[in-house]
Formats: sequence, C-alpha cells, structure tokens
Amino acid sequence: MTSVADAVVPGQRLGHVQEYIAGAGTYALQDFLYASVVGLKQISRTSDNELPTMTVQRENSQSAIPEIEAIVTCKVVRVNPRFASVNIMVVDGKPCKDDFQGIIRVQDVRATEKDKVKIYNSFRPGDIVRAQVISLGDARSYYLSTAANELGVIFGTSVAGGSLVPISWQEMQCTKTKVIELRKCAKPMQ
Amino acid sequence: MDRKRVAGPELSVAPLIEYPVDHKRWTPQQEKRHDSKRQPEDMRPIYLKTGLIGQASGSAYIELEKTKLACGVYGPKPVKRIGQTFSGRGLLTCEIKFATFSCAKRRNQMRDPQEKELSQILTQALSPAIRLDLLPKSAIEVYITVLESDGLGSCFSAAITAASVALAHAGIEMLDLVAGCSASYIQTGPARSISSGAESIPPQIFMDADLEEEKYEQGSIVLAYMPSLNEVTHVLQSGKAEGSIISQSVEHCVEACNKIYAVMHHALLESVKENQTQL
Repeated sequence: MTSVADAVVPGQRLGHVQEYIAGAGTYALQDFLYASVVGLKQISRTSDNELPTMTVQRENSQSAIPEIEAIVTCKVVRVNPRFASVNIMVVDGKPCKDDFQGIIRVQDVRATEKDKVKIYNSFRPGDIVRAQVISLGDARSYYLSTAANELGVIFGTSVAGGSLVPISWQEMQCTKTKVIELRKCAKPMQ
Repeated sequence: MDRKRVAGPELSVAPLIEYPVDHKRWTPQQEKRHDSKRQPEDMRPIYLKTGLIGQASGSAYIELEKTKLACGVYGPKPVKRIGQTFSGRGLLTCEIKFATFSCAKRRNQMRDPQEKELSQILTQALSPAIRLDLLPKSAIEVYITVLESDGLGSCFSAAITAASVALAHAGIEMLDLVAGCSASYIQTGPARSISSGAESIPPQIFMDADLEEEKYEQGSIVLAYMPSLNEVTHVLQSGKAEGSIISQSVEHCVEACNKIYAVMHHALLESVKENQTQL
C-alpha cells in the first residue's frame, strides 16, 4: 500500500539501475534512478526473473498530450476534399485541458481502396471520431489515421438532428428519420 | 470621470511609514548586517506553499520576509503561435511581472526591459531541469508576479525557487528541482586604494542581501543550482569582484541552495499530504 512516506519529489534518488527498471515518472542517469515528478513511488514486479519496475504515481496529473500510436477521441470541425480537421479532446482515455489540432488525410481514412475514399462520405463536422496518431505532423496539427476496423466515427448527428447508429462499416442510420448517411464507422466495441 | 481606472477611496489615511523620521540609516561600516540578527552567511527564513492559484496547472507562493512573489504554471498546452516551426521539444516561456506597488518606486503597468531580461534569464535557468524532450509541440508558460521586492537579487532567486516548485506541482517531468540563491559583495571596511597601498579589507559576502544592503553592493551573484544532481544551471554575476571572492560566494550559494532544497522538498511533500487527506 502507498502512504505519504513513499512521497518523492523530482530529483530524488530512488535506487540503483541494477535493482529496478525505470518506469513512468522516473529516469535513469548514470548508475542511479531518480524521480521526475511529485508523487508516490511504487514498485511492481511482473515476473520473478525480471527486475521490478519503479514508477512514480503523479500527484497532480499533467494534462494529456498526444503521442505517436496513441488512440485519441476527437471532434471533426472542418472537412475539405483532402483532409478532415479535428480537435483532439481525449488521449488514451485521459482528457486534454486544451484541444490539440489534428488532421485525417484522405489517404489515412481507411486501409483499402484508398483512391475511392471521399472525405465527405466519411466524416461530417460535429462527428466524434476515434483515431490513432500516426505522426506528430507539421507545426500546426497532428496526423491521425482511421485505417482500422475499430477506428472511425463513434457518434454523429444526422441532418435531421437525430443521433446516428451504425448499420454497416460505411453507413449510419438516423434514429429519427431512418435516413441512411455515409460515414467511416468504427466497429462497436463490446 | 475616468472609468478605466480604479477611483481612489473616499476616505484617505496617512501612508504607512516604514521607519520613523529620526531613523538612522544602515551603513556597511557598522560591521553588522541590516538585519542585525543575521550573520553574513545567513539567509532569511523562507515560507513556501503550493497550490494557491486554482486555475493554474501548478502554482507556488514564496516569501522571504519582505520579498513576496507568486508563481503560476500553465500547460503543457498546444503551441498556438503563428509562424512557429515544428519542434520536437516543448517550449518554455517565462514572464516576470513586478506589481506596480512592489518596489520603493512605482513600477509601470507595461513590461519594461528589466522584466524582459529577467524573464529570459529565468527561462535559461529553468530549462535545463525540465524534460522538454518529452513534450513535443507543447508549450509551458510560467508567470511570476512580484508582490513585494526587497532587493533585486533575492527577488530573482526566489523567482527561480518558486517557479521550479510550481513546475513540479504542475506534474511536469523534471530532472531535478532548481533552487536559486543570491549574494552581494559589500565593502565593510576601508576600500582598497592604489595610493594608500596597505590597509585593505576584501569585500564581505552577504548572502540573500536585502534592499538596504544592495544599495552598498559592489557586485552580486545569483546562482541557480540543482541540488540532488549537483549541477549549476545558471550563474548571473554582475559588478566587480576578485576571482577568489566570486568562487567563495559560489560555494556559499551552493550551500544555501541545499538548505533551500529542504524547504522546497517539504513544501511539495505538504501538497502530497493535503491531497492524501482529501481522498
């Protein structure tokens, strides 16, 4: 169990590199392991033949920032024939205090038949999309991809204002008017 | 009526006078410090607390008797500045602002060159300690408001200390905390002169000099130091002093920084304790 006695501050020496593996919130410098955040230290052992991992549980969690390969939840703000602009709101389940800009380029929408993809048949402004970060992108935006079954639109509103339910991997139906709209749907996760 | 400005109160009171009219001003020839209880190597007691600014990601307040300042850290957040090229490292920006009422003479609302310079130096002193490589395309903003300044050196060193505690409080990954310490070289005896030759006393090193002492200083030093890694992140030396005096004062500052580190350590543990009791 963790208690206040396990509290550490940045720069505090936690142990020797030969004793522990540096986990989150720690870093190794020369022969020693140091804490890099304020929090409670924890030692977790995965298997007997491996070294235990030293981690520091952050006290005041820092706002999440997108990393490569992270799964993000974002909202579409603009679409044009080449890409859809999105605001990244959640990174790996952790909310961002400030939205990060991202774009989903037309070639990153799906894995197959990339040349037949039409952005306006995949995303509409206001849709909530689950995507993966593929690159830190340019100065302005992160590059995202929805080229996987479980990635794509997870929530959307139809023209009539009803919420959309996925009926196939590229069609969604309005709950109010039963009108079918085209989207790159995410496979519902059980 | 000018609505942009705060109108004065209807009732007026006499200004607070710091010293009585017949007060004898301190001079270094008295062989004592301005605060007679302090030895040359003594610092003022420090009060340090985290978490005073609710909307900031992290914050700290520091007080060394009459030097008082507050620090707020915002971020990491996306870089919004136009014309910024891609950067794999985080961007640290610091801003020191002296409140208009903080000094003996009223400060301007506008940012003056001195504030700009100190802000830049603060960025240089802090950035080696922050793991900016873990924060690509993000920005961290540090804002310091000086509420009362009792000596520029001590004020700036307190800013370094408070900023690094606020950064740690914000949960930003750092290599180590940075403690700041200042010292002034003050001639307490007759100064060395070429004509008289003999009778010369080297200047004394007064740690954490206050405003009265700073008026007599020949030079000063501000040291930013990472105590547990035993590394200096910044040295700001101004004025004239001999090499031996400077190296001696650096040693004194390192020693004092280790003491400050204990205070910083304690303040951060207090914040952990507070969070634990809230749970």
